[in-house]
Amino acid sequence: MIEQLFLALPMAIVVIGAFVLMLISQSKRFNLDKLNLVAVFFLAISLILQYLTLGNHTNTFLFENIFGDSFILDDFATIFDLMFTAGAILTLLINNDYFKSRNYFTGEYFTLILFSVFGMMMLSHAHELVTAFIALEIASLSVYTLVGYHKNNKISSEAMMKYMVLGSMTGAFFMLGTALIYGAVGSTSLTAIAIYVFGNELGDMTLLIVGASFIMITIMFKIGAVPFHTWVVDVYHGAPYPITMFMASTFKIAIFAIALRLFLVDFAPINSFWTEMIQAITILTLFGGSWLAISQNLVKRMLAGSSIVHSGYLLIGISSVALGSELAAPAIMFYLIAYFLSAAGAFGILSFISSQSKKQMRYDDFKGFAERRPYMALMMTVFMLSLAGLPSTIGFLGKFYIFTSAIESGQILLAGLGILTAFISVYYYFKLIAMMYFYPSNTPQKKFPINISTILIAMMALIIIWGGIGTSLIPFIPGADGFIEIAIQSISSLK
Amino acid sequence: MMDHILSNIIFLPLFMAVILGAFGANLKILKIGALFSSIVTLLLVAWLTYHFDPHAQMQFVQNIPWIQKSGFSYFIGVDALSLVVLLLITLLMPPLYIYMYHEKRKGYWYNMMLLQTGVTGAVLSLDLVLFYLFWETMLLPIFIMIGKYGNGMHQYNAMKIILITILGSMSMLFSILYIGYMHFETTGVWSFALNDLSNIVFNAKTSIWLAAGFLLAFAIKIPLVGFHTWMAPAYGSAPTPAVVIMSAIMAKLGIYGIWRFGFGLFETTLVYYAPTIITLALIGLLYYAVRAITEENLRKMFAYSSGSHLSLIALGVFLTNEYAWSGSLYFIATHALASAGIFLMIGLTYKRFKTVQISSLGGIASKAPKFTFFFAFFALCIAGLPGTGGFVAELLIIIGAFKANLWIGALTATTMLSAMIYIFWMLQRTLFGTSNNNIEYPDLTMREMIMLLPLVILLLATGLAPSLFMPIFEPHLNATLHDVMIAIGGLK
Repeated sequence: MIEQLFLALPMAIVVIGAFVLMLISQSKRFNLDKLNLVAVFFLAISLILQYLTLGNHTNTFLFENIFGDSFILDDFATIFDLMFTAGAILTLLINNDYFKSRNYFTGEYFTLILFSVFGMMMLSHAHELVTAFIALEIASLSVYTLVGYHKNNKISSEAMMKYMVLGSMTGAFFMLGTALIYGAVGSTSLTAIAIYVFGNELGDMTLLIVGASFIMITIMFKIGAVPFHTWVVDVYHGAPYPITMFMASTFKIAIFAIALRLFLVDFAPINSFWTEMIQAITILTLFGGSWLAISQNLVKRMLAGSSIVHSGYLLIGISSVALGSELAAPAIMFYLIAYFLSAAGAFGILSFISSQSKKQMRYDDFKGFAERRPYMALMMTVFMLSLAGLPSTIGFLGKFYIFTSAIESGQILLAGLGILTAFISVYYYFKLIAMMYFYPSNTPQKKFPINISTILIAMMALIIIWGGIGTSLIPFIPGADGFIEIAIQSISSLK
Repeated sequence: MMDHILSNIIFLPLFMAVILGAFGANLKILKIGALFSSIVTLLLVAWLTYHFDPHAQMQFVQNIPWIQKSGFSYFIGVDALSLVVLLLITLLMPPLYIYMYHEKRKGYWYNMMLLQTGVTGAVLSLDLVLFYLFWETMLLPIFIMIGKYGNGMHQYNAMKIILITILGSMSMLFSILYIGYMHFETTGVWSFALNDLSNIVFNAKTSIWLAAGFLLAFAIKIPLVGFHTWMAPAYGSAPTPAVVIMSAIMAKLGIYGIWRFGFGLFETTLVYYAPTIITLALIGLLYYAVRAITEENLRKMFAYSSGSHLSLIALGVFLTNEYAWSGSLYFIATHALASAGIFLMIGLTYKRFKTVQISSLGGIASKAPKFTFFFAFFALCIAGLPGTGGFVAELLIIIGAFKANLWIGALTATTMLSAMIYIFWMLQRTLFGTSNNNIEYPDLTMREMIMLLPLVILLLATGLAPSLFMPIFEPHLNATLHDVMIAIGGLK
């Protein structure tokens, strides 16, 4: 029992932190700086504890005598947890200046972030559909509130309404799917579902397939796959920068935690049923997202559109899994890590810049950026190159694995289309680089401010480069091999 | 230092750039550092050439695993083919830095150092992923230099060149991934090393598609006619050092890529493509020559002239006989020197007159004799004046063409004629006649002459004593050709 408590501690600490923050945020003695530090403190402890459990306890159910098999602890979940907490810590620290520059941030903000991290962690550990639903809703509700945090701003409120109404509706699909699956299996536990799926012929499981398809709709909505993408650009645009960063880098990954668990293990035998469907959605997502990204004027909206394209690449991986590719699952994992780093970095820079000016950031506003802030521009270039998948960045390796897995599963066309959209993405990412470097600046060069935000952004840029070219031959510093190792380790614990 | 000599040659400029950038070096130190790195690499390459064995294949090989999980290796080596291009790169860098002597924008210097690492790495890599990495790396500095320091519609043209070239490299990436996967499928091990991959036996249909991926990338880089829309605008707006690198080195890398990776991986499939490429090259030869005759802008004119000559080289490579191959490799070297020279002269013209339109020049000969001499010399080298290296090379390719087919030979021979037409007409209008402007300008300075003299000497040496240079690469070329012929013959 004590050991179980220790294993559940990372999750518990986050939720305790959320409550503590809720209480102390009422006190006048805690300003935003201190609250931020407290939030980071709790997340950091959780991060360290997760790191300690990594690789030690595979496939234990948490509190089995109380919750049954609702919560599982495996490396897969722990690695996702590491990304969530790291993402939240980065969001909080990088945006410290942003919080202070806007008057609408209050203490609840930190509580909500911690609650959503808790929801996401629960989601990655969930081994039962109702638990997964509750976890998803805890995370989603916090994020809905965060999106509308700037409540006097019309765009922000509109984004919140849009996201909440659509999100709740698709959330209902998840519940409906769960009900149907319960009707077929008689249980919502993933263990029972897996046994049922392995024991029956594809033709006898109509109810379960319909239910699983409903669940898939929710997942597709949350990752912004076309045709469930209509909310993405507006919501990313309406949310304050820190929230967009949190959503794009961290929350998006959380959906893949449950999606991968379902598709890789439990629904694996019936994957062949929806392969064509996923392929069609993938193609729509790749090109729809590219179209959205090309046609934007605001950098934030471009990144939102491009995040749809990245969902498309991940879907290529999922359809390769469905066709039995062995490389695909680690490839998805690796791509998630790569995307997490690059997107968090790009949005981090955006919000860092906007903490110092209240401008909307159009492409044109980046003219002369390289002369004003040469180091920032260099880091932004690194993030853009990584998102575009140019070699010497971790983004290239991510695309490399996704496309080889598509080739392995025989989807040559899909791999080709993926490379084509990668080519299209060069246009909108390089447009930003062109804006930064090709135009003279009319204001003098600013000094590179060395504070926690810029140091973290610089570190992420270095990790992205080292993750793309780093060799493991240098002792003590894991290179690209290290990331691949993590991806493989997490997938192999999923059995 | 000599153990990892190739790595030192590749990474010294980058290392220098990183060090200088990290310490925020001032302009003077930056200039000295850049020049120093280029001279040290030149010395290293000289040492390499001295110890190079013309009869051996790959030398100074370094093969260490890089990202083991996916089979990428840091696999570099040099043979006669890459030695020629390597020599060109390192020979051209010091004159370029001397040319940039008055350049105050620091970014320029950093980009040049990064560019040197990119092109050198691409020439020496023997692993496909490593090659792809350098192939893309060399594009970024060019993109920034055209877009930031160019003239005319430079922002637009920079975007154009990067999109078109990346389209090519993405298609190459697709082929690389597919070949890598085929190696994994047949052997169970990931590898992208050229010598591992060349053992794979493709079926005819797949290999046609895979070769197309590579050929598209190289055809855009050369550029063959039809893939050339980026060329004239990019050459027109790029600053002089970037133009020199693009025409003297990067275009040649397209040819080098066909040689190394095209013939290295799919000899037989290239035979399938040969008629298409030869036709394109012949059309290009004539089309570019006509465009060069009618072009008013000196930079664009020599862009087209360079396209015409590169088509000739591509033709020679696809003719697969020993005259054409020796001629092509020789022409890669001599054309690089000559085009570097002429583009530097055009850059000096622009510095003096702020224009490169032929119609606003004229009468230079009467005021600046030294300038006229160098300008005319490099222009005549481009035209293939007997006694310069270009003549020997062109002659060899034309002989090779006649050996292959009378008609191809006859059409190829027109290149010398058309080059004479546009060069002489251009010389007449720019150097002689009366001046079309009232600008006071100085003749060549000592510094400019020092920068140009090595090129002149090398061009004369390659023209007057080809027997000094041919033995360096001929044994290797003949051996490779022999292998290729066996592979093709095996098909028949």
